[in-house]
Amino acid sequence: EKSNLKSNSFMSPSETVSLTSSDPSHVRAWLAQTSPKMLASLDQFELELRLGRLTTSSTAAARSSSLTSSRELGMFSTSDRRLVTSRTLELLKKIIGQTKWKSAAQLLLLLRGLGRELHSVGGFREPAIGNVVRRIMAAVREEALNEDARATAASSSAAPKPADTAPRRMSLQTMLWATPQPVKGIIHRRSGSFSSEADAFHMEMPASYHAERPELKQEVMEAIGEINSDLEDMHKNIDEQATKHIHADEVILTYGRSKTVEMFLKTAAKKRKFQVVVCEGAPHFGGRETAKGLAAAGIDTILINDSAVFACMARVNKVLLPAHAVLANGGLISPSGSNMVSLAAKSNSVPVVVVTGMFKLCPLFPHEGQDTLNDLVSPSSIVEYAEMNESLMEDVEFINPVHDYISPELISLYVTNIGAFQPSYIYRLLAEHYHLDDWKSFEE
Amino acid sequence: LHSIYLCPIDPLQHADEFSGVTLGGAAGSSLDSAVLKLGLLYAQGVIRGGNARCRAMLLVYCQLIEEYDPPASVIGDLRPHLDSNLLKPAFQYWTEHCRPHSVSMGNAFTFLKSAVASLERNISLGELKEVLQETIEAYIRERMEFADKAIAGHVSCKIVNGDVLLVYGHSEVILKVLLQQKELNKQFRVICVDSRPLLEGRKTLLALREACIPCTYILLNCISYVMKDVTKVLLGASALMTDGSLLGRVGTACVALTAQRKSVLVCCETYKISNRVQLESITGNELGDPNLVYEGKQESLRMLNLLYDLTPSNYISGIVTEMGIVPPTSVAVLLREMNPNEII
Repeated sequence: EKSNLKSNSFMSPSETVSLTSSDPSHVRAWLAQTSPKMLASLDQFELELRLGRLTTSSTAAARSSSLTSSRELGMFSTSDRRLVTSRTLELLKKIIGQTKWKSAAQLLLLLRGLGRELHSVGGFREPAIGNVVRRIMAAVREEALNEDARATAASSSAAPKPADTAPRRMSLQTMLWATPQPVKGIIHRRSGSFSSEADAFHMEMPASYHAERPELKQEVMEAIGEINSDLEDMHKNIDEQATKHIHADEVILTYGRSKTVEMFLKTAAKKRKFQVVVCEGAPHFGGRETAKGLAAAGIDTILINDSAVFACMARVNKVLLPAHAVLANGGLISPSGSNMVSLAAKSNSVPVVVVTGMFKLCPLFPHEGQDTLNDLVSPSSIVEYAEMNESLMEDVEFINPVHDYISPELISLYVTNIGAFQPSYIYRLLAEHYHLDDWKSFEE
Repeated sequence: LHSIYLCPIDPLQHADEFSGVTLGGAAGSSLDSAVLKLGLLYAQGVIRGGNARCRAMLLVYCQLIEEYDPPASVIGDLRPHLDSNLLKPAFQYWTEHCRPHSVSMGNAFTFLKSAVASLERNISLGELKEVLQETIEAYIRERMEFADKAIAGHVSCKIVNGDVLLVYGHSEVILKVLLQQKELNKQFRVICVDSRPLLEGRKTLLALREACIPCTYILLNCISYVMKDVTKVLLGASALMTDGSLLGRVGTACVALTAQRKSVLVCCETYKISNRVQLESITGNELGDPNLVYEGKQESLRMLNLLYDLTPSNYISGIVTEMGIVPPTSVAVLLREMNPNEII
C-alpha cells in the first residue's frame, strides 16, 4: 500500500496529471486535461448559479429588485430548493461517472475541489449545494471502508491499523469507548511532502483510501442513486406527517414563502379543517404567494401585516416556519422576520414547528450570529430609487437582509423527511449524514 | 372613505366586515361644517396619532364654543344645553361615523365635560365662552406641550454620546425628544423602524434628516438583524393601561419583544392613561382598511388590518411621563394623581 501511495504522488511522465489537491484551480486543470466535456458542464452549472436561475422560491422573491418583478415570480413557483439540489446531484453524478479518478482519495479530492469551486461562485447562498457534496463524500468514505473491510477479510494480510477502522456511526457511546483515532493526521505527516501544494486534507485520509479500486465507481453511483431517491420522496415523506401535527379547528400561523410548508398544509387540509394566518413578509412579500396558493386549495386563509404578528399570536395554536438551512446546534436560518415571529410565539407559549428536508442540514455553527449564511440585498424593495436620490435621503443607511438566525431554544420541533426531531437531536443527524472529516466549510 | 369597526371578540371571524361609509347624509346634517371637516380628516386617515387627533378635536371645540349661540328658549343654566347640543353630537358623530375615538380623545372629552359641569350655574354666555376656551387652551398647553418638554428633559439624562436609538413609526413626543438631544449637541444615531401599510416611519425619517441626525431606515423584518447594535429603544404610545401595558401602533409589541435585553423607554403624557385594563391585543382593537394589506379578491382569502397592539408591561423598562420616569407598575398611581375624574 505504501508503494501505491508513492506512485500516485510522484507524477510519472507517461501518465496524465494526477489529482493531488483539492484546490479548485488544480481540480479544474485536471478536469481540463482528462475530461474537458465535464469541465464544460461544470461551467454551465456555475453560470446558471451565478445568474440566479437555480435559486429557490423564497430567496428568489428576496433577490428580485422590485415589487413588480416579485409578482412575475409566479413563474418561479415551480422551482424550489429541490431544483438546486437535484441539479447539483445530476452534475456530480455525471462528473463522477465520466471522469478518470482511480482511488477513493482522488475522488474525495475531486469532490472537495468541486465543493470549494461551487461555494465560491455562489454556493454560499445555497448551502444545499455544499450539503449534497458532503453527502456524497460521506457515501464514498463509507463505500471505501466497506471495500477495505472486505479486502482485508478476504486476504489474510497485515491486520488493518486501528486508524483505518474509523467508527461508522458516531454516538456518545462509541466516542467514549473507542480507542483514540489519529483522524486528524498529525501522526501520518511525512517529512518532505510529495507535492508542492501540501494539502492537509489529503494527508488526513487513511492509507487504504489511496488504493485503486475499480469497483468503487459502481458502488458510489449506487449510493448517489439512493440519495437521489431520498430527494424525490422528500415531500411525500414530510407530508405523511401532516395529519399528526395539524388538527381540526386549529389556527396555524406561517411566515414567508415555502413550497414545503404549502404542500404540508395542503396535505393536511385534505383531511382536516383549519385556519391559516399568513404574514406577508415585507419587503419580499413571500407571504402573499403562500396565501394565494393556500386559498386556491380551499383553506381558510387570513393575510396580515408582519406588525400584527404579536397581536394575533394570542389566538394562534402553532407556528410553521420554512428553513433555508438548519445549523449544527439546532438553530435555524429562515426568511428575515421569522425571529420576531418565533419570539412572539415563545412569549405566548405557542409551539414553533419547522418543516424541512434533511439536505438543508449544514455542519456549520452560528459564529456570526445574525450574519450567519445571511445576505444583504438591494434596498430598492424598501424605498424607491427616485426617493433615495433626494438630498435628505442621501446619507440614510438602508438595510435589507434576506435571512434571520433563530436560536434553538425558540424552536419546538423539526419535521423532516426522516422523522420529527428536537433541535437538541440535530447533532446526531449530522454525524449520520456527513463524515466528521467533511464538516469543514468549503470557504477556504 | 374608510370607516370604522370596533373589533368584536374574534376578528378572525369578522375580518371582512370592514366597509367604507359615506360621510354626510342624515347623520351630519345638523352639524357644523367644522365638525364635518374634521370627521372627514379622521376617516381618511389624514390626521393620525393620539396627540394630533386630540388637539384637532379640542381646537374644533374651541371654535364651536366661540360661535355658540343658544336659542332664546334656553334661559338660566346654559350647561346642559351646551352639553347635549354641542359637545355630545359632535363627539358621537366622530366616533360612530368617522373613526372610533382614541384614548387621548376620550380622556380630553371627559375632561371637557367635567369642566363644563364645574362652571357656575348662572354663568353668562360671554363668561362661559371665555372660561371654557381658556380651559381648553390650558389643557393643550399643559397636558400636551409642557408635558412633551418635561418628558424630553427627563429622557435627556438617559441619552449619552454614542447611543444607538431605535424608534418605531411616528410619535410626536419622540421626535421632540430626539430633536432636543440634537440641539444639545449629543452624538447619537437613530434607527427608524417602519412597517406597512401606513409607513409612518417615513415622516420620522424626514424630520430627523432635516435636523441632520444620522439615520438608518429599516422595515420591521430587519429588527433582529440590527438589534445587536442598539443601545436603547424609544417608543411612543397611544395609551397606557393601568397595569402598565402599552397600547400603541401595531408592531410596537414586536419591537419591544425583540429588544429583550435593551432598555425600552416609553414616552407618554399622563393624559393618555386609561383606566381600562386589556389582557390581549385583539379585544377592543380597531380594524383598518383590508385593501391596504393586499388588494386582491380570492375565495377563502381574507385580509386583516389591525391598527393597535398591546405590549405587556414586562417588556417595558420604564415609562417617561412629565412626572418623571416610572416603572410600569406605577401607572395606576399616576392615574389617580393626575386624572382624578377618570376614577369613576
